Amino acid sequence: MLACIPASTLLGVTGHPVAVEVHVSNGLPAFTVVGLPDTSCREARDRVRAAVLSSGLDWPLRRITVNLAPSGVRKEGAALDLAIAIGVLVANGDVSASTVEGLGLLGELGLDGSIRPIAGALPLVDALLTPTVVVPRGNVEEARLLGRHQVRSVSRLSELVAVLSGTQAWDEPPDCTPPAPRVDVPDLVDVRGQAVARLALELAAGGGHHLLLIGPPGAGKTMLARRLPGLLPDLDADAALDVTRIHSAAGIGLPAGGLVRQPPFRAPHHGASPVAMVGGGSSVLRPGEISASHRGVLFLDEMGEFSPVALDSLRQPLEEGVVRVSRAVGSITFPADFLLVAATNPCPCGELGTPGACRCSEGARLRYVRRLSGPLLDRFDLRIQVQRPSAHEMFCAPPGQSTSEVRARVQRAREAAAERGVAANADLDAAALDRLAPLTPAALDLAEVAISDGRLSARGLHRVRTVSLTLADIAQESPGVEHLAQALNLRVDPLVVDHRVAVTHG
Amino acid sequence: MEAWLCALAELAGVGPARLRALLSIGAPDEVWRRLEVGPLPRVDGVAAALVSQWRRQVSTVDVGRVWARYEERGTGVMAHGAAGYPEVLVDDPDPPAVLFLHGEPHAFRLPRVGIVGTRRCTNYGADVAFELGRGLAAAGVCVVSGLAVGIDAAAHAGAIDADLAPPVAVVGSGLDVVYPRQNRHLWHSVASRGAVVSEAPLGVAPEPWRFPARNRIIAGLSDIVVVVESKSSGGSMHTVNEAIERGVPVMAVPGPIRSPASAGTNRLLSEGCAPVCDVDDLLVMLGLDERAIARTDARPEPSPTGRRVLDAFCWQPVGLDTLVGRTGLPIPDIALTIERLLADRWIVRNGPWLERAAAG
Repeated sequence: MLACIPASTLLGVTGHPVAVEVHVSNGLPAFTVVGLPDTSCREARDRVRAAVLSSGLDWPLRRITVNLAPSGVRKEGAALDLAIAIGVLVANGDVSASTVEGLGLLGELGLDGSIRPIAGALPLVDALLTPTVVVPRGNVEEARLLGRHQVRSVSRLSELVAVLSGTQAWDEPPDCTPPAPRVDVPDLVDVRGQAVARLALELAAGGGHHLLLIGPPGAGKTMLARRLPGLLPDLDADAALDVTRIHSAAGIGLPAGGLVRQPPFRAPHHGASPVAMVGGGSSVLRPGEISASHRGVLFLDEMGEFSPVALDSLRQPLEEGVVRVSRAVGSITFPADFLLVAATNPCPCGELGTPGACRCSEGARLRYVRRLSGPLLDRFDLRIQVQRPSAHEMFCAPPGQSTSEVRARVQRAREAAAERGVAANADLDAAALDRLAPLTPAALDLAEVAISDGRLSARGLHRVRTVSLTLADIAQESPGVEHLAQALNLRVDPLVVDHRVAVTHG
Repeated sequence: MEAWLCALAELAGVGPARLRALLSIGAPDEVWRRLEVGPLPRVDGVAAALVSQWRRQVSTVDVGRVWARYEERGTGVMAHGAAGYPEVLVDDPDPPAVLFLHGEPHAFRLPRVGIVGTRRCTNYGADVAFELGRGLAAAGVCVVSGLAVGIDAAAHAGAIDADLAPPVAVVGSGLDVVYPRQNRHLWHSVASRGAVVSEAPLGVAPEPWRFPARNRIIAGLSDIVVVVESKSSGGSMHTVNEAIERGVPVMAVPGPIRSPASAGTNRLLSEGCAPVCDVDDLLVMLGLDERAIARTDARPEPSPTGRRVLDAFCWQPVGLDTLVGRTGLPIPDIALTIERLLADRWIVRNGPWLERAAAG
C-alpha cells in the first residue's frame, strides 16, 4: 500500500514543499527513510515508531519505506515526523486515505505520541499548497498569519487519528489572541542633554543612515542605541511577515499573536563569529544576526572588539540588503536589510580620548582604530562623538522630547522618502539626489572646501548629501547649506592623527 | 682607526659607559689587539667574565667587514674629540665615546635649540612645535630634537618646512633602524638636509634604555632646551634634568592649566623657568633678536557667531556636543559656523575633536 502526505522542509528561511511517500509491503520488518534526510530527520524513524505504539496503535511488522520527495533537496528537522507517522498509518490501512486528502501535516512527535511545536512554522506552512494544514498547538497563531489555509491543530497523535477516523471532531480553533501591545522600549525622554546624539538617532531612524557612536565608557552610547528601535515606524504587513518568517526559521521567540510588528533589535556579543553574524552552517544553513535584524536594528557594542573578519563580512550585506551564503550543501540568499548602529571607544583606555590626555600609546591607539576598516567606516553616514554628560546636564537639564514626538518626525521623513520611491533617503543614488535635491551654490562652496581640505571624499559627499536631505525632511525645509554643514559635522573621523607630519610626508 | 671603533662599539654588551672604559685603555686598534691576544686586559668597572666573553667574540669578527658596512651606508663615525665631533660635547660630563652620523656635521657649528615634548601631544602642542621649528630654522638656528612622534616630529617638520638652517635629530636606535616607522619620511628628510646622529652602532634596536641616554645628548648639544608640552613626568622632563645638570637654559611653552599634556611645562614655569610665547623669545635668549621676523595673521576675521564659537573652545579640544552646551546656539548654526571656521583655518579637525589653530 502506498500513501502520500504533503509536508514541507526549511531551506534557509523559506519552506519547500515535500511529499512524504510511504510504502508498506510484505517482507522482513524494516523501516527506512530515503530522500536526503539529515540526522534529525533520519531519527524520525525511532520517534515515529515509539509515538505510534504509545498512541495505542499497531506498528506494522512489514517492510516500510519512506521517501521524501523531491529527493534532491536536503530535509532537515523533525517537522516531518507527523507526516511520516500518518503516512505509515494510511499505507497500512489504519487510517483511510480519503480522510487525509487535502491535509498538509507538520509537527514533531514525542515518544509518548504528543505533538511538539516546530521552528519555522510560518515558512513551512507557506510552502504547503493544501487547503487545510495541521500544525502543533503552539504554532497555530503563526500558521494563521498567512490566512491562506484552514489551520487545524492537535496536541496528540492519537487525537489526530481519532479525528481522521471520524470518532472525534476537530478542536474548535481558539480565538485569535489580540496582537501584543507595543512592547515597552526605553523612551528618549530619559536622555538628558546629548543634543547631538539625539539628532543623530532621529536621522538614523528617519533616513536609514547607519550610525557610529564614538565615546568613552559611561557616556551613554548603549543607552542611546537602545532607544533607536522605538523611533522606527512599525513594520508594514509585508515586512512584518518577512521578519516573522526569518525569526520563525531562526527559532527566535515570536511575540504574542505571532506576528513581529515592531522592528527587531539585535545586539550580538562581540565574540560573535563571522558565521553567527551573516548566517551559514555546515549542513543546515541558518540565518545569522544580520538577517535576524532584517528591517530592524543591528547594534554592535564595542565594535572594536569584534573580530575584523566578522566586521568586514558586513560590508556586502550593508551594500545590497541581502547576504548570499554559499556552502558545499548549497547557496542561499538571506534577507539582511538592517540599520547598523555601532558603538566604540575612541581608544583602548577609553577614558578620555582627548588629545593629550589619553593614556594609550600611539601604536595601541592606531591598532585599535585600524580594526574598523576604512571601507566599513565609510558605510556609516553618521559618526558622532558622545561625551559624558556634565553633572549639570544630568540633573538640571529639562527632559528632551519623548520617543513618540520624535517618531512623528521620523514618520514624516520616511513618507517623504517613499514619495521619492525609496524606503529611506540612505538608499538614494547620486543621480536621484542631483535631480531631487541639487546642491545650492552656498552648499557647493562648502563642499568644495571640505573636499579640497581632504576631509571629504566623493563617496563621502554623496553620503553627506543623503543625510542633509533627511535633515531637511525632518525640518520640513528644502535642503540648504545649513543642512550640509550639519551633515558634515555629524560624520567625524574616529582617528586622531597628527596632520602636520602627514602633510610633510605628502 | 674608525673601523676598530665601530667593531668595539658593536661588541655584545658594550654601551656608552663600557665603550668609554675600553677606550681609556688605549687607541681602538690597540684595545682590539689586546682583546685578541696576550693577557686579558683589565677594564675599569667591567667583570673579567665579560672581557673573556669579548675575547671569544673578537676572534670571530672581521673588522674589515664591519667597516665595509659603515662605508656602504655612508655612515660618518666621529670619535670623542676627533674632527667633526661636536665641540660642545667634548667637555660634557657624560660624553658619547663615539657618534655615528648620517648627513653633514656643519649643523653643529650653528646656534642650536633643542625642542622636546610629549609624544602624545595636543594639536596646540604640535602647532606650537611646528611654528617654533619653522621660525628657528628660518632665523638660521639649528633645531635639535629626537624624531619621536608628537612634539619632536612636529618641530622637525617645521624646520624642514622653512628649508633654511639644517636640523639635527638625535636618535636612540642604530642609524639604519628607522624608529618609529611612521616618521621614516621625516627621518630621511632630516638626514638629507641636516644630520641624524646616534651613539648606537648600526643595527641596534631601539631598546627602552637608549632613549634617556639619547636625551642627554640632546641636552648637551643644545644652547637652549624648549619644552613645548609635557606631562608631569616622562622623557621630556628627563631631558630637562640633563640640561639643568649641564647648565643649559630651559624654557617652556605655557599651556592650558587643565590640559594634562601641559602639566609638566606649567610646573616648570611656576618653578621659574622662562616662558616661550613665540620664536622671538628664543631668538632673544640666543642673542639673535635682530633676526626676529614679523608675522601677521592673514586669516579673515571671524563673524560674531564665529567669535562666540571660538571663545567656547577655551583653547581645548572639544566636540560638537560641548560647543552646543557652551554656546547654547542651535546645532545648524554651530555646524555652519564650524565649517566656515574650518575653511578659514581658525580651527582644525583632529579625529572626532575640533581644536583651535594658531596663526600662520
